[in-house]
Amino acid sequence: MSRKYSITICDGPTCLHKKSKELESAIEQCLKEHALTDKVRINLSGCLGMCGKGPILIVKPGYTIYGSVTLGDVAEIIEKHIIKKKPVARLAIEEDHLYNRFFRIFGDVNFFGKQLRIVLRNCGIIDPESIDDYLSVRGYEALAYVLTQMKPLDVVEEVKKSGLRGRGGAGFPTGIKWQLTAREKNSEKFVICNADEGDPGAFMDRSTIEGDPHSVIEGMCVGGYAVGAQKGFIYIRAEYPLAIKRLEKAIADAKAEGFLGDKIMGSDFSFDIEIRLGAGAFVCGEETALIHSIEGHRGMPRPRPPYPSVQGVFNKPTLINNVETWANIPVIILDGAEWFKSIGTEKSKGTKVFALAGKIKNTGLIEVPMGITLRSIIYDIGGGIPNNKKFKALQTGGPSGGCLSEEYLDTKIDYESLAKVGSIMGSGGMIVLDEDTCMVNIAKFFLEFTENESCGKCAPCREGTKRMLEILTRITEGKGEEGDINKLQRLGKLIQKASLCGLGQSAPNPVLSTLKNFRSEYEEHIKEKKCRAKVCSTLLGYEISEKCIGCTACKKVCPTGAIAGIQKSLHVIDQSKCIRCGACFEACKFNAIKRI
Amino acid sequence: MLTPLETVKKKRAEAINRIVGKGYLSTKRVYVGMATCEIAAGSKDVMEVFQTAIKNGLTDVYLSQKGCAGRCNLEPTVEVIEEGLVPVKYGRVTRDMAHQIIERHLKKGEIIEEWVIR
Ligand SMILES: Cc1cc2nc3c(=O)[nH]c(=O)nc-3n(C[C@H](O)[C@H](O)[C@H](O)COP(=O)(O)O)c2cc1C
Repeated sequence: MSRKYSITICDGPTCLHKKSKELESAIEQCLKEHALTDKVRINLSGCLGMCGKGPILIVKPGYTIYGSVTLGDVAEIIEKHIIKKKPVARLAIEEDHLYNRFFRIFGDVNFFGKQLRIVLRNCGIIDPESIDDYLSVRGYEALAYVLTQMKPLDVVEEVKKSGLRGRGGAGFPTGIKWQLTAREKNSEKFVICNADEGDPGAFMDRSTIEGDPHSVIEGMCVGGYAVGAQKGFIYIRAEYPLAIKRLEKAIADAKAEGFLGDKIMGSDFSFDIEIRLGAGAFVCGEETALIHSIEGHRGMPRPRPPYPSVQGVFNKPTLINNVETWANIPVIILDGAEWFKSIGTEKSKGTKVFALAGKIKNTGLIEVPMGITLRSIIYDIGGGIPNNKKFKALQTGGPSGGCLSEEYLDTKIDYESLAKVGSIMGSGGMIVLDEDTCMVNIAKFFLEFTENESCGKCAPCREGTKRMLEILTRITEGKGEEGDINKLQRLGKLIQKASLCGLGQSAPNPVLSTLKNFRSEYEEHIKEKKCRAKVCSTLLGYEISEKCIGCTACKKVCPTGAIAGIQKSLHVIDQSKCIRCGACFEACKFNAIKRI
Repeated sequence: MLTPLETVKKKRAEAINRIVGKGYLSTKRVYVGMATCEIAAGSKDVMEVFQTAIKNGLTDVYLSQKGCAGRCNLEPTVEVIEEGLVPVKYGRVTRDMAHQIIERHLKKGEIIEEWVIR
């Protein structure tokens, strides 16, 4: 039943008030007394970012926000608002913040209700190709505000105060990076938006640009003003044609309205943005390789220092941030660094966008406050594992990240806590793996990717990843040797230490983290020649069960003649002849062949 | 001369006027997901059904595209928003379902429960 009303109760994971459960039962009780249970839907949301005014209740339709609600207020809200249709003015609060705008429309759905959206605030609620839509949700007000009210250095201070850290992977404090670029004395400076997004399975940046391109452009303008740059580049992969099209339109519209170009909105600040297309090499996401690519050179990294803030594009001071980092900026300006900093953990502020994928019921794009647990993401938002399968691991950070086992699910996410347990925050890929996944094979998958994407400039990465991949391949083919685990570990640590850029420095992570958290699976592959997830096909044996009706299909396809049996009688596999190709398994229509 | 802040406020007021001029205050607003992911799931077909219906005389409906809200496995998604009602969110909408949403929901006000995302 769709109900006429919905009441949302804030229930943030780190909530100070902890009244949600009592409020929920009081509301349920009161609805029952008035026979309204069928008309009102109750749901618990995640943190709504209004902790100073909590506990919060939101009544829809109409989106009335009630603050500091006590158990004693419940009856009044229901009697006046729901029955007499008169909102309770005494408790209602007015909010016109930028963050969480999507909540008005989507907040009553569980998947969305547990989220807090700063970056994705407008995604899914406005027409991304209409600058009018963006303006109507206070678009370009942050830019106008800094041009009117703040000196460039005040903007740098505000971003520093917010505690925002880079969302491209490394988590470097954004304000400090801005300060380093701002203090360079050079009449020509650049800002860059890194939209290369090379992690397999990641689509956070693409969705942000496709859903709300102006928020990224506005963030860049504010950054340009703060550090004293005149020009910005958006480096985006050519494989994102729709995102590129929307950026082009957004830039043209912003120019036509005077938000880009000479003397923006009558101020002394002039700023322009140009799009540069990448060909999709993973290494081109690395900042120094990206800068080479913008300059027209081959995308290869170089040692740092000098950092881009000192010597970037065309040797000029350059501020480079990720798409998601940029999209946070207008919110920090308008909702304030103080507010921003109230969300998250001690060292990681604000939210993070994740692309939730793999063996999970609700796949999708989510944005959650720092400090939420991995368990809450997987079970409250993701809806758990489908088909009654057991959870096995969570992969975060893509090819630079690691795999975490069940025991780490209560980790509260932030940059430090994820690193401590052997993975990384990364740029936001999050893949759930169930019991049918082989951890050695997963590590091999990511290493194949980095080995392939290694630019070849430095030997540790070029040669090291190749050798590691050879060892992993032989392990999955049942040819693993005593001592392979030690070799992987030694080689992995060496590559981490000796590689030139982040690609090599992080390439061994998937292997090292699975060795740490799932070592027994490697040992089984090597010593017992067994793959418990039944993925590594050369390690599997086949057996014919009672279900066999003697159709002879398997016998016909077996390339080595290992199957014996006459029509309409049980067939048998001669294990000494079987080469474990799996052809019989594919051919059997009666589920009679089992993998062992 | 206006300050940047005054300029942006003026521009916002003008933008809102233009949006209202395009029929934003219609009884029902319909949003169709049109990001790469939504389009891959078939949202262009769905959009076309709504566009054709409006061309053929469906009135009092404001139609807009939107980016991806994030519910990948339920795409294409369509929202029907009406003042005074909880916004209705439909998932896995097909061409045929779009026709039914027009006939039953937009024309007769019936919420098609079994397609609603909760
Ligand atoms: C191999 C490699 C790939 C990277 N890919 C990306 C990417 O796709 N997008 C991104 O924003 N940062 C990427 N980075 C990180 C960038 O080098 C840089 O740290 C980031 O753009 C800085 O922005 P932030 O401070 O806002 O995170 C990559 C780094 C490495 C080593």
